[in-house]
Amino acid sequence: MLEKLEKVKEEGLESIKNANTESELEAVRKDLTGKKSSLAEVLKSLGKEDAETKKTVGMKANEIKNLFAETIEKRENEIVSTKSVLDSPIDLTLPGTLVSGGALHPITQMCYDLNDAFLSMGFEIYSEDDISSEKFAFDNLNFAKDHPARQSMDTYWIEGTEDKQGNERLCLRPHLTGGSVRYLLNHGAPARFVYPGKVFRNETTDARHEKAFFQYEALIVDKDFSFSSGMVMIETILERVFGRKVNVRMREGFFPFTEPGYEIDMECLVCGGKGCRVCNHNGWIEVMPGGVIHPNVLRSANLDPEEWTGFYVNIGLDRLVMMRYGVDDVRYFHSGDLRFLEQFK
Amino acid sequence: MKVSLNWIKKYVDIPKDITSKQIAYDVTVRTVEVEDVIDTSAKFHDIVVGKILEVKKHPNADLLRICITDIGEKEPVQIVCGGSNLYEGELVVVSKPGAEVIWHGEGEPVKLKETKVRGELSYGMICGAVEVYLDKLFPPKEETEIVDLSAVDCKPGDNVADALGLSDIVLDIDNKSLTNRPDLWGHYGMAREIAAIYDLKLKPLKEVKPDKNLPKYEVEIKEPEKCPRYTATEVEGLYEKTSPLWMQVLLTNVGLRPINAIVDITNYVMLAVGQPGHAFDSTHVEGNKIIVRNAKKGEKLLLLDDNDIELTTDDLVICDTKEPMGLAGIRGGKKDSVLPDTTKVVFEIANFDAKTVRKTDKRFDEKTDSAIRYEKNLDTETVSLGVSLTLELLKEIFPDSKIVSYNDVYSIKTERAKIEVSQEFLDTRLGKVLDRKSVLKVLTNLGYDVEFKDGVYHVVVPVWRSTGDVSIKDDVMGDIARLLSYESFEKKPLLVKFDSAVKQVDVLLERRIKEYLAFRCGFNEIFTYPWMDDKYIKAAGFDIKKPIKLATPPAPELSILRTSLIPGMLEAISKNMRYYSDFKLFEVAQVFENGEYHPSTKEETLPIHKKYLTGAIVGKDAKKIFFEAKGVIEKMSEYTHMENLSFKQGNKPTWADPNAYLDIMHGNKVVGSIGLVSAKTMLESGIKRTNIAMFELNTELFVSYPSRTNEFKHLPLFPLVEKDLSIIVDESVTWGEIVSSIKKIVKDLKYVGEYRGNQIPEGKKSITLRVWIGNDDSTMTSEQINNKMNGIMKVLHKNCKAELREE
Repeated sequence: MLEKLEKVKEEGLESIKNANTESELEAVRKDLTGKKSSLAEVLKSLGKEDAETKKTVGMKANEIKNLFAETIEKRENEIVSTKSVLDSPIDLTLPGTLVSGGALHPITQMCYDLNDAFLSMGFEIYSEDDISSEKFAFDNLNFAKDHPARQSMDTYWIEGTEDKQGNERLCLRPHLTGGSVRYLLNHGAPARFVYPGKVFRNETTDARHEKAFFQYEALIVDKDFSFSSGMVMIETILERVFGRKVNVRMREGFFPFTEPGYEIDMECLVCGGKGCRVCNHNGWIEVMPGGVIHPNVLRSANLDPEEWTGFYVNIGLDRLVMMRYGVDDVRYFHSGDLRFLEQFK
Repeated sequence: MKVSLNWIKKYVDIPKDITSKQIAYDVTVRTVEVEDVIDTSAKFHDIVVGKILEVKKHPNADLLRICITDIGEKEPVQIVCGGSNLYEGELVVVSKPGAEVIWHGEGEPVKLKETKVRGELSYGMICGAVEVYLDKLFPPKEETEIVDLSAVDCKPGDNVADALGLSDIVLDIDNKSLTNRPDLWGHYGMAREIAAIYDLKLKPLKEVKPDKNLPKYEVEIKEPEKCPRYTATEVEGLYEKTSPLWMQVLLTNVGLRPINAIVDITNYVMLAVGQPGHAFDSTHVEGNKIIVRNAKKGEKLLLLDDNDIELTTDDLVICDTKEPMGLAGIRGGKKDSVLPDTTKVVFEIANFDAKTVRKTDKRFDEKTDSAIRYEKNLDTETVSLGVSLTLELLKEIFPDSKIVSYNDVYSIKTERAKIEVSQEFLDTRLGKVLDRKSVLKVLTNLGYDVEFKDGVYHVVVPVWRSTGDVSIKDDVMGDIARLLSYESFEKKPLLVKFDSAVKQVDVLLERRIKEYLAFRCGFNEIFTYPWMDDKYIKAAGFDIKKPIKLATPPAPELSILRTSLIPGMLEAISKNMRYYSDFKLFEVAQVFENGEYHPSTKEETLPIHKKYLTGAIVGKDAKKIFFEAKGVIEKMSEYTHMENLSFKQGNKPTWADPNAYLDIMHGNKVVGSIGLVSAKTMLESGIKRTNIAMFELNTELFVSYPSRTNEFKHLPLFPLVEKDLSIIVDESVTWGEIVSSIKKIVKDLKYVGEYRGNQIPEGKKSITLRVWIGNDDSTMTSEQINNKMNGIMKVLHKNCKAELREE
């Protein structure tokens, strides 16, 4: 009898070992410990035996039963720990599922980057309307009466007003600067604000020229303000855009609404200032004009130039975005072409 | 404008250690932008003077010669040449192997190699003028003529550029940066700047005055405002000759073609002192009198090419007693041309009003070198410099000539501006305390007269800057700052005076909306132009009653300014259909409408501006994209923290499908519309085989919450029961009706789906909805659930005639 049990034990352990899945193991469990198992049969057949045998065999059988339970549990752990949730082979080189999502226009993105920077310096965000009068677009800004920019070769005048003057002559704004006087008239001084937006010029378009483009202008008006504080504003902008400190230089420039006026150049990032094709071999790239607000502009805003002064910077965002990404044709910005826009997610 | 450093060096001695690159940098930073630095000798490398020692026949070619030529090397070399004017002893231009020449004067430069020509060795070539950039200086009379340098002081082996004085550094200056500086349109003015930058001495110009006792040449100025000063110098004893080589070379280096000595003198004077001049053949001047007047209506000016131009009364003309001879300050006509037989000339050196010249040169599109200078507003004193230099050059080039009469009609004199600038003003605005000595030095070097008294600089502006350029103290400050160099000013911190946070809810709302559409809903933002294409206006079905149009539109069909972003959107969709089938676009921009709007002052009236948001979803399944678009609007207010938007059946937008459009409402105000784009609109836009769901909203009617307003709701203490319910209703019953009939008796409900088909009778549809029910104070028993569901069904039956769909 004991040999028989020994055999059941051997065979049982063997079959546990051979079970490779949870379901196989379950079948083995039924086989070994169920009501119809060989172990159960051995115990059933004990009835005819003497008490001593009953006791010995019974103990042995129980021992085996426990051993089975233990071994099965162990085996079960083994199986689970190596088990896969997959029921079929998997090709891991297949592409991931697409994350759907659109994008803001690359110029909007840049504009928001700059807004964040300026908000942190306490600037307000202002916007002027697309259509302006000559009064605000030119007269207030100290443009000479016969300045070429006032001509229809340069500015888009509104039909029916093109031969009028001042307040009555309307145009698609040719620059943002007119907005500076609007803001100052409404808010007074001191003031610090940015006013991003689109401007329009009657230009022949090519890879570098567009009829509609995006500018970003900032103005500080304060007492006893020195232009050398304006440099900080410029560096902030460029650092924000390019993510690192960029060397800049200010040089003489002329604009009707500034005195003095500057052109601001940044070191060419392509060659690091050594000179290359991009920067026309001189190491510098013109990025923005700026300057001290002209006394006549302050007067247009009902501010006393003896008391107040200020500093402008005007950034051509198209140009900056082109430099940021290496875009070589400004016309993409208004193309509405998804093949272009989708690259800026 | 091109500036020759050789020319500059006539007026200022530049120390050797200042390189041309440094000059270009300093001029750029302090004065005007130098766009390019051109080394004029670079293209003459390996091009030298040669002396022909012997001319031999070529054994294999009748038209070629073999020239034994001394090129300054150990041994003479053999060069094959086809020139028609070869002779022994001639000094010629030899391009050695390695030199780059323009082959027959056409195309890109070609690098020469030592080669055999018809079997004979040729060490480089003897060149014609067009081959080595010398055609301006040595215009060839015939094609096979080579350059003969025998008249030039040079020896074999000399580099040709050096021998001819062509080695120069030319600064190419951006004309735009010169607009406010009339004084910089001549080399003397530029020399003054360079002298001031390096604190060098500017040499005074020689002064030559016409004899006071000369008879007067008759000049009558009818418009002194337009012609403040006019000098006429009549000179006889002139003849046609070329100007001296040094003058030709300088003119050539700055891009002018030498013509003849008389014309070259006027050009040279203009480029030297910035004063344009003009030469009339004296015999052509009818009545020996010059009259400066406005043109008469219908009067014409005959040009050299025998065409004439019709003048207006706005044009100022230079006339003799009979007719106009030239447009004042711009160009001459046929009558005043200097011809080969000219011997007597009247030199005009005058000052004309900038506006008058600008008006006329624009009308005739004649931006001549002279007109460009007058446009910048020249002062009247520079005329004297022009006269002086002209007389000096005449004496040098035509020693036998004689001035026979002269006149200087000087009606209005440019007054030097007087400005007071306090030290305190300079210190605050520059952010740096400057010592008085350096301020005085800078200003004096630039030609200012300055006196310092009681903390104030009393400044008299040089006359050449007094025509508008320098008129207020800020201009003087600008001059000081730029000459000291902006780079020399230390950055000062930008101080923030903090009294309140910037809070602009509408600015932030617009950004949240854009980000919601792009990042959450998968739209791409586009920019379009503010004008609309007639084609897409028509496609959208717009009938614009009082359009706002551009006077000079980019194209005739692009004249109307946008009243909606939809035409631009249709165009963008149609362009993208080539590459994409499913996509979403949006734009936020201003649109315009006739009306009155005063953003800043009462005096200024602008059209009405509104900021619109337009979005489009493109895809094949019309219903799917419509509800997708509707979902975007439904959720927008929640995600962007603004007051709720809702929908209402309203008027059909002209572009919308007859069966799918809704008004978008804020309260009971219509803020926009949504719909499927009609088949007709798509057809006319050239959009095929797809559908478009579109919405347009006036964002100015949105009301932003001042902050987030989400409210916390307690989680249910007892679990809610979720039940699906499929009902059969008439086709005419809407989801909206179902919602309003049961929304009060359920905790929540949701649309699951619609079904039409086999088991559903004709004219009916099956709708599946999900409801959530529950007790507030206990878990629902199954009996309660059944009663509740039966109750819901009863209400639906009563209000919507709904039947339970049997599974």
